Amino acid sequence: MTAVTVSGKARGVPLIDGIDKVTGRARYTADLDHAGALIGRIFRSPVSHGEIVRLDVSKARALDGVVAVVTGADCPHTYGVLPVAMNEYPLARERVRYRGEPIAAVAAVDAETAARAIGLIECEVRELPAYYTSAQARAPDAVQLHANKPGNLEREVHHEFGDVKAGFAAADLVREAQISCAEVNHAQIEPHACLADYNPLTGRLTMQSVSQVGYYLHLMLARCLEMDTSRIRIIKPFIGGGFGARAEVLNFEIVTALLARAATGKVLTKLTREENFLTHRARPQTDIKLKLGMRGDGRLTACECEVVQRGGAYAGYGIVTILYAGALLQGLYDIPAVKYDGYRVYANLPPCGAMRGHGGVDSRHAFECLLDRMARELSLDPFAVRRANLLEAPTRTLNDLMVNSYGLGECLDRVERASRWRERIGTLPAGKGLGMACSHYVSGAAKPVHWTGEPHAAVNVRLDFDGGVTALTGAADIGQGSSTMVAIAVAETLGIALDQVRVIAGDSAITPKDNGAYSSRITFMVGNAAIDAARKLKSILTGEAARKLEARVEDIECIAETFRVGTGGQASLPFIDVVKAALADRGPITVSGTFTCPPEAQGGKHRGGAVGSTMGFSYAAQVVEVSIDDATSSVSVDKVWVALDCGHAINPLAVEGQIEGSVWMGLGQALSEETHYVNGLPAHASILEYRVPTMAESPPIKVEIVESHDPNGPFGAKEASEGALAGFPPALVNAVANALGIDLDELPVTPDRIHQALLERRRAKRLAAVQEALS
Amino acid sequence: MSGLLPDIRIVRPSDVAAAIAAREQHPQSRFIAGGTDLLVNMRHGLIAPQSLIDISRIDELTTIEMGAAGLRVGSGVTVAALARHPAIARDYRAISQAANAIAGPGHRAMGTVGGNLCLDTRCLFYNQSEWWRQANGFCLKRDGEICHVAPQGKRCHAAFTGDLAPAFLALGAEVEIAGKQGRRRIPLGDIYVEDGLAHLAIAEDDLIVAVHLPPTAAASAYAKVRLRGAVDYPLAGVAVALGVRGDSVASIRIALTGTNSRPFVLGGTDALIGRPLSERSLQQIEQLVQKQARPMRTTIASAHYRRLAAAASARRITAALYAEQSG
Ligand SMILES: Cc1cc2nc3c(=O)[nH]c(=O)nc-3n(C[C@H](O)[C@H](O)[C@H](O)COP(=O)(O)OP(=O)(O)OC[C@H]3O[C@@H](n4cnc5c(N)ncnc54)[C@H](O)[C@@H]3O)c2cc1C
Ligand code: SF4
Repeated sequence: MTAVTVSGKARGVPLIDGIDKVTGRARYTADLDHAGALIGRIFRSPVSHGEIVRLDVSKARALDGVVAVVTGADCPHTYGVLPVAMNEYPLARERVRYRGEPIAAVAAVDAETAARAIGLIECEVRELPAYYTSAQARAPDAVQLHANKPGNLEREVHHEFGDVKAGFAAADLVREAQISCAEVNHAQIEPHACLADYNPLTGRLTMQSVSQVGYYLHLMLARCLEMDTSRIRIIKPFIGGGFGARAEVLNFEIVTALLARAATGKVLTKLTREENFLTHRARPQTDIKLKLGMRGDGRLTACECEVVQRGGAYAGYGIVTILYAGALLQGLYDIPAVKYDGYRVYANLPPCGAMRGHGGVDSRHAFECLLDRMARELSLDPFAVRRANLLEAPTRTLNDLMVNSYGLGECLDRVERASRWRERIGTLPAGKGLGMACSHYVSGAAKPVHWTGEPHAAVNVRLDFDGGVTALTGAADIGQGSSTMVAIAVAETLGIALDQVRVIAGDSAITPKDNGAYSSRITFMVGNAAIDAARKLKSILTGEAARKLEARVEDIECIAETFRVGTGGQASLPFIDVVKAALADRGPITVSGTFTCPPEAQGGKHRGGAVGSTMGFSYAAQVVEVSIDDATSSVSVDKVWVALDCGHAINPLAVEGQIEGSVWMGLGQALSEETHYVNGLPAHASILEYRVPTMAESPPIKVEIVESHDPNGPFGAKEASEGALAGFPPALVNAVANALGIDLDELPVTPDRIHQALLERRRAKRLAAVQEALS
Repeated sequence: MSGLLPDIRIVRPSDVAAAIAAREQHPQSRFIAGGTDLLVNMRHGLIAPQSLIDISRIDELTTIEMGAAGLRVGSGVTVAALARHPAIARDYRAISQAANAIAGPGHRAMGTVGGNLCLDTRCLFYNQSEWWRQANGFCLKRDGEICHVAPQGKRCHAAFTGDLAPAFLALGAEVEIAGKQGRRRIPLGDIYVEDGLAHLAIAEDDLIVAVHLPPTAAASAYAKVRLRGAVDYPLAGVAVALGVRGDSVASIRIALTGTNSRPFVLGGTDALIGRPLSERSLQQIEQLVQKQARPMRTTIASAHYRRLAAAASARRITAALYAEQSG
């Protein structure tokens, strides 16, 4: 592997674990050593809502080959994300609230026996009315899903910043839109799996799982199994995609641990694709009512937004998601007044959760669509409208979010130029269109959901007789390249080759605690912690080199694995000699680096103000070119130009990959992905019916990296993995409007929806003609 | 949800006669070719054969012959082999286009012509796991009493969704069938009936040996309506074979898939023969499709859309084939 220089223009390096993955050496959870493992399997609710009247597992328990059966009776503890909203049992007790909810589980000698045992479980449920839409669940006479949640509302948010009324009064144009976005799912390639090993002699539990949040898994297992945290070890194998699907602890993980303890052994649970969809935890179906005020020159005067999210049967991340939907209305543009009303609703469907672009995507979609419609009415160019509302860094938004670096203006310039927007807009042939939109995302939640007072990130760096540098991090590399980022941060800081650094990630017995892979926090927080640790090690080594070279510490530099005095060709020492000297002096060395977001980054004082708070935002602009087939009304995306301000690209190759991935995931939500329930049963629960784009839909994506050098970021970096997602759906809808002259209010933009919109327009035109003739 | 395959016996006959005999010998058996439909359905608990008669190693089934008498495609020819055959792409373009539009590259490498013609019908209430269907109270087509698509009715409306059948139908194909009584050749259209529950009119133990196509002067094309450019089954599929002499339509045959419980040849198109293809003819084609295509709510996409998109596709490829041939 070649070394990189941060300042150089190198294109970056392949991910340090990439070769293992593409050559098949990488071991995912399902490939681990399962010798002697029992097979776990879950019995799931066949009904949407009801009281469990009778649950009889005796026949399953009696079946030959069944070693353990667990039910809700085995775990009286709830689990969840926010301490105030843990309202879910790993196995239902008394009540079930969605079809597919786990009720019992078995561990058996093989998969066939486990399946047979599941068939022997008898469960009687007294059915209650079930609600599949937000409106049904919010109806005045609706039965409550949770006793303490009247109106089936998990959380209402009402925020108002600035003088909204005055803002609208000052506007030349006020417009509203009602936009609805279908529920989508992460559809990560690797299905959920975990391997739990309980040793009855030591009372210790080892859990290997697909989790993005090993630390939270650790805490939840301790809570639900009433175990001491010191008896638990969480190990993260290779992970085949997360996107938020594993950003919270999942019921099957706790259930498998319960089974392993009951069976006093090792249990492997692999979920089917259908069970992955039932586990869900993805982006909720969302209805948005948006009102914007604008002056004739495109300057925004006020924004009023109502968001209703159909959150599914349990809280999960719900409060965070509904707060994000409002908080992230800000931070992208300068808006003088913002009012937000958010409603997180319970319904009898699989619980929603965090998904790439968490909380911000659907309201951003509505915002960018309405912005374009109003620009059109005012005969303003879409770029000009955005430019009229740029922020100026450093600043704080109305809701007290910190903006220290802001490359949106440059992102706009770059995609405008790359797409030849000015020459081409308005000149495309029939059926073709161009559209654009902007987006942003946090570089890590500045206030962790589970507050302990500890540093927000920690990295240990070890040095021993072998001369290799080992970075230990709890951060979960889920394919986004975080281990590579840590390796680069350490190698760059120390002045050694990248392959001199080994990264060990995600083993609670070895690596320091990390909050996990969510809210795009790792590069900013763990990156800074890694630099901090490497600096500490460097200072030890530099001191040692100074001593040996009889020079002043300030004059010592380490470049290309050689310690030198000054920059001239004076005395020098190879890295390994300095290491040996340091070890002789103090024995094996471990240093700890940390990072903590300062209080001023942690959000406003208003209720829920912590959500949205971050050290810095990434910014993105994109242009999408589409063609629409006039026979089938299907949209194809011909090309995408996207620019993202990630502060500084620590590894440009990985940044490019993450931007492409974000665009592509936005493409799925925009074009074809949606869940579809039949009385609470997922009709979409396969990779065939849940339509993730294929290679055939994947357009060429031209990526531009913008570097605004955040003053607090590691080497100036911010996040790069989510910011470009939310801009895609609105850019696509705006491009369809440009091509066909119709404004679509629903996602995804499937051919039947376009077809319907065209029919309605034809009908409206005919009606208008008739009315004109009559008048 | 179990998704597990039960223990099954696999029998591997080496010729057609042995395959028919094996099918008779093992009462709870099924033919399996590529298995890309059968195995998925077994994992869903839709069928539970005790033995599988694997016909993928029978040489007679795997050849493509082209000559003065036309084209003969063995039923065991893979979709991929059909898709890349240059002479078929030249003379029977609709078949080549349909083959290329089937599923994904992996499926095409495994899936066969015979399996494609004998594909089970599909419905969003049917192609689900056992757990799912049980929670939904099953349905007429398997284990249940009612149809969730048309609850008042007594029949199943599951749709036939093979891509090859319409292309073969438009080009006038016959199938060669081997059964207990020996071999016979019948028009392809005769093996299908409009019934989602039992859409195949051949005996359980009949084996499709080959598809025969007459030589043709007509140009042909296939258009597939789907949400994604790969993997997806057709929401509707239309094949057109159009012959033109001078400026006049000499022959026209349009066939559809994905909309009804069987693939079928569109009726009423003979009226277009002997005249140039006009805007009026194209409108007639659209109307015929809209009348005869009967999509029901068996897919997540709306039935209304499937019908209209089928009609628009029929119009478009017919117009293109005409433009191509009428100087
Ligand atoms: C994700 C996915 C997407 C797909 N998309 C498409 C698509 O877009 N279009 C499409 O047309 N198909 C699609 N398919 C279905 C399938 O892959 C193809 O239709 C394939 O050609 C079936 O052939 P096979 O040999 O695999 O059939 P098998 O599964 O082996 O057999 C199917 C049925 O035919 C019977 N059979 C097989 N051969 C014979 C014979 N010679 N005589 C009598 N009976 C026989 C079998 O007993 C069985 O009932 C898809 C499948 C999957 C899993
Ligand atoms: S059409 Fe009706 S009977 Fe046929 S598979 Fe679908 S639900 Fe079942």
